[in-house]
Amino acid sequence: MEKNNFWSPYIAGVGLGLTLLATFYIIGWGLGASSAYSLVTAVSLKEITPGYADSLEYFSRYLNAESPLKDWILFEVTGLFIGALAGSLLSGNFRIRFDKAEKMSSKKRFLTAAAGGILIGFASRLSRGCTSGVALSGGAQLAAAGWIFVIAMFAGGFVFAAFFRRLW
Amino acid sequence: MTAPLYGYGIFGENTSLLLAVILGIFFGLFLERGGLGNPHKLTGVFYFTDFTVPKVMFTAILVAASGLYLLSDLKLLDISRVWIVPAFFWPQIMGGILFGAGFVLSGYCPGTAITGLASGRLDALVAMTGIGAGSLIFAVLYPYIEGFYVSSAMGSITLPRLLKINHWIVIVLLYVFAAGMFYLMERFEKRS
Repeated sequence: MEKNNFWSPYIAGVGLGLTLLATFYIIGWGLGASSAYSLVTAVSLKEITPGYADSLEYFSRYLNAESPLKDWILFEVTGLFIGALAGSLLSGNFRIRFDKAEKMSSKKRFLTAAAGGILIGFASRLSRGCTSGVALSGGAQLAAAGWIFVIAMFAGGFVFAAFFRRLW
Repeated sequence: MTAPLYGYGIFGENTSLLLAVILGIFFGLFLERGGLGNPHKLTGVFYFTDFTVPKVMFTAILVAASGLYLLSDLKLLDISRVWIVPAFFWPQIMGGILFGAGFVLSGYCPGTAITGLASGRLDALVAMTGIGAGSLIFAVLYPYIEGFYVSSAMGSITLPRLLKINHWIVIVLLYVFAAGMFYLMERFEKRS
């Protein structure tokens, strides 16, 4: 069983807010995550099938850079991984597992994780970002984009959860 | 005014990448310590069982928004040099709805999936692979959806400018909304 020794969500929220504020002040933009996936996918595709990768207009925004992997967001999510790993190791929360709802089969969990991920990957590109780049960073900037996305995301999540009550 | 520091050329690109790692470490640490690497907590809000996500998220938004506009009003930060997320009304409505469904289904979002993997969750790795695949599907379908993708563009507009009111009015309203929401969530969690 996982140790339930998380911090108060309000304390974690203050820390996260100060990190975001520092990012605005030091760098001049917010925190993000989803574009790192898109960037890595584009670069991987280019390795596997260069001609096809170059034919995809949307990926040219990453591949036209002189060295695509030398990108701010990729360094930021690398830090994210290190910070989260440190947190889970130091608190004793690190444990290799395949996490799922109590009565769900591993096969079904594999499918929900994969299908949900695909939806998120597609939706993040359509929205110009995810919960980090649009909802959190945009929300804090009081950007219209952030609040449009936050409202639509919670609406979508609540409706979906109402139809699929046994997922979690 | 000399901030944002990178925008004013206080340091170069390589330093910005080092700072990206450092800021990212704090980002990941607070996500993990807040419980946001755990898919049960991440999806709890949608089943009214655990309100960690809105508590962490709205607290962070209020802290960062107050700080950002305070620094701007004190002329310590040039907010016109901060990159504001552009609004595209219908694509972000549609994207938000699909994202919410994917969030409940997978139990993660892009940043929290990395947090989940960093706490040893292999299901998060499956979700991460899915997110990459979803990006690829978007890029393949892009020629057919480009029209919708660029539709209803509103530019990098903020709510205070859109509603023509002072930014502190918006921030105070958010504090009032969050306080009411946190109060109800605490009461609800205590009861169940």
